[in-house]
Amino acid sequence: MTENIVGKTEGGSDMENKVFAALIGVLALFCFTQTGGAADAIKIGVVAPLSPPGGVETGQAIVDGAKIAAEEINQAGGLLGKKVELVIGDTAGLPEKGTAVMERLITRDKVIAVGGEGHSSVAMAEIEVAHRNGIPIVISEAWSDGITAKGYPEVFRVTVSNSLIYSKAAKWIKEQGFKHVAVIGENSDWGLGVIKVFKDNLDQAGVKVTSFSAERTLTDFTPQLLQLKNASPPVDFLVDGFTGAGELLMIKQAYELGIAPSKNCALLGAGMDTLYPGFWDTVGEAGVYVLSNPAGLPGLPKTATSDKFKEVFKAKYDREPDAVAMEGYDSVMVIAEAVKLSKSTESKVLVDALENKVNWEGTRGTINFSKDKNPAWAYHMWMDVPVFIIQYTELNQDPSKAAILWPAQFATVKSLLKPSK
Amino acid sequence: MVIGTLYALMALGLSLIFGVLKLVNFAHGESMMVGGYLYYFLATSFIVHLLGLPLVVALAATVPVLFFFGFILEQTFLRPAYNRQTARYDEYVILVTFTLGIFLQNLALPLFGPYNRQAPAIFKGRIRIGDLIIAGDRLTGAVVAFAVIVVLFIFLYRTYWGKGLRAVSQNPEAAASLGINVPRMRSMAFGIGISLTGIAGALLGQIFLVNPVMGVPFAVKAFVIVVLGGMGSIKGTIVGAFILAVVESFGSILLPDPTRALAYKDAYGLLLLIVTLMFRPQGLFGEKVRRA
Repeated sequence: MTENIVGKTEGGSDMENKVFAALIGVLALFCFTQTGGAADAIKIGVVAPLSPPGGVETGQAIVDGAKIAAEEINQAGGLLGKKVELVIGDTAGLPEKGTAVMERLITRDKVIAVGGEGHSSVAMAEIEVAHRNGIPIVISEAWSDGITAKGYPEVFRVTVSNSLIYSKAAKWIKEQGFKHVAVIGENSDWGLGVIKVFKDNLDQAGVKVTSFSAERTLTDFTPQLLQLKNASPPVDFLVDGFTGAGELLMIKQAYELGIAPSKNCALLGAGMDTLYPGFWDTVGEAGVYVLSNPAGLPGLPKTATSDKFKEVFKAKYDREPDAVAMEGYDSVMVIAEAVKLSKSTESKVLVDALENKVNWEGTRGTINFSKDKNPAWAYHMWMDVPVFIIQYTELNQDPSKAAILWPAQFATVKSLLKPSK
Repeated sequence: MVIGTLYALMALGLSLIFGVLKLVNFAHGESMMVGGYLYYFLATSFIVHLLGLPLVVALAATVPVLFFFGFILEQTFLRPAYNRQTARYDEYVILVTFTLGIFLQNLALPLFGPYNRQAPAIFKGRIRIGDLIIAGDRLTGAVVAFAVIVVLFIFLYRTYWGKGLRAVSQNPEAAASLGINVPRMRSMAFGIGISLTGIAGALLGQIFLVNPVMGVPFAVKAFVIVVLGGMGSIKGTIVGAFILAVVESFGSILLPDPTRALAYKDAYGLLLLIVTLMFRPQGLFGEKVRRA
C-alpha cells in the first residue's frame, strides 16, 4: 500500500519533472533566440499611422524614408559592426494604440530608440512611454508645441512646431494684406494648436480670425463653409486644419461651393495630405491654387545628403520625395549618428549624444537640437527646420514643382496666384 | 434635403433587413464600404472607359452584384440559425453580423490598401438656385437615392414579391401558411437590404471618399434613424432620416457658440437617439412589441 503510494508519488513527480524540464528547455530556447536576435542587429523602432483613421499617407511616407535610411546604414557596414533593423509599429492615428505600440517596441523588441509619428495626439501618448522607459524618441512629423514643451529629455523633434511655423505663416498672411482668416481645425492637439497660434498672432495684428473645431472623423463641412460665405468682412483666407480624409474633403467641398480656392479667397491645406500622390486623385481640379506648408522641399537648401536621398528615393518609389519622407529618413539617421558618435546603444548615452554631440547634415540642412527652454517648445527642437509656403499652379503638380511664395530667398513668385473665378 | 434623401436610402437597407429577418445587421457600415469600392472599381475599370459607358451603368451594375453578395451571405451564415440549428437566434445573428463587419473591414485593408480614393462623380459641377449652391455629386446622390426609394416602394406595395416580403415581416407563420416561401423571402430581403446599403455607399463614395472605414460614421447615423423612425418601419425610416439631417445641419449652425458647434455635429444624432429611447422607445412609427 505504502509502496504503491510512494511509487505513484514518485511516478507523479517524475512526470512533473519532465514537464518542468521541458518547460525550462523551451524557455531557455526562447531566451536564447531572443538574445541571439538582439546580438545580431541594432533595432530602431519606427512609429507611424498606417491604417485609418490615421493619416495613412503620412505614415507611409515616414516609413518609406526610414527604410531608405536603414538600407543606407547597412550598405555602409551597419552600426558598431552590427546590422540595423527597423521595427515598424502601426499606430492607426490613435493615442491608445500609440501607447501599446511603444510598450511593445521597448519591452518586447528592445529597440534602442524610436523615430517617426505623424499625429500630435499620438505622439503625446508615445512620449510618455518613452520618458518612463528612458528611451530616446525622435519625432518626424508631429507639430503640436506640447510634444517638446513637456521638457522630457528623451524627446527630440526634426520637424517644426505649430508656433514655429504658424507664427511665420501668420506674419506672411498679415504682409499679404488678408483681412479675415477662417480656421477650421480638427480637435486634436495639432488642430487646436493651429487655431491657437493663428488667433494669438493675427488678433493683435488687426486681422480678424474666425475659427471652428470639429471631430477628426468629420466628413461634411458644408454647413460651416456656407456660414463663412456670409461673413463680414468676407473671408479671404481659409485654413484647412485637418489631416487625412477630412483635409481632402474640406478642400473639395470648399471648391464645390465656390468658396476657396477662388479669386476672393485663398486656401491653405495645413495638414500634409496636400503633399502626397493621393491628393490629386481625390481632390482633382479643386487642388489647383491650394497652398501648402511643407517642412522641407527636396534640394532646398541643397545639401550632399538631399541630392543623394532624392536620387535613391526616386529610383525606389518612382516619385519626388516629400517633406515627410525626408523627415522619416532624417529621424532614423539622427539616431544612427548618435550611436556612431557615442559608440554606444545605451539609452542615457544616446540621449546625451543627441542633445550635445549630434550636428549632422541631413536632407534639409544641418540638424542639431536646441537646449533652450524659453519658449518651452524650443527644447530639443531643430530650430532651423526649413519651412515653405507653396502653391499649386496646375493639375497633378508635384509639390517640388509648385510655386514657392515664402520664404523670400527661395520664392519663385512674388505674391499669391489667384484663379480667375 | 439632399443629405436627408441619402440618409434615408442608407437606413432603409438596415430597416428592411430588421423588418423581415428580425436581426440588426452590424455589418451595415461595411456593406456600405463594399458598395463604395465596387462602384469605384467598376467606374474606373477599363471596360467602362473602353466602351465609353456612362458612369450610371457602373452604378447600376453594382446592384445585381450586391444583391447576389447579400443573398449568398444570408444563405451561408444566417440560414443555419434560422433553421433552428442554433438555440439562441438573436445572439447568434448579432455575433455573425458583427464578425462579418470586422472581417470585411480587415479584408479591405490589405486588399485595397488604407488610402482614400475618390469615386468618380456621375455629374460634376454645381447647380446654383438663388443663394443656394448644390454640388453636382450631392445632387446626383439625392436624385438617384430618391429614384431607388420610389422603385423600392413600387416593389414593396405593387408586386407579388414585395407583398410577400411585407407579409413575412408582419407574420412569418401566417405568411408561410399562405404558401409564401419564407426562407427565400428572407434571403431576398437580405439581398435587397445589402443592395440598398451598397448603393448608398456608392453614392456617398462620390461625395466623400472611399476607404475601408468609410461606412462607420454613417452606420451610426443609420442606427439612429432606424431607432428614431421605429425598427423595421419603412415610412418611419424615411421620416427619421430627414429629421436627423435637419437636426444635424441646423444644430451646427444655430448653437450659440459657433466655434464649437461643428465639433458636436455627430453628437446631435446621438442626443436624438437618447431622447427617442427615453420618451418613445418604439420610435415614431414603431409598434409596441414585446418579444418573448
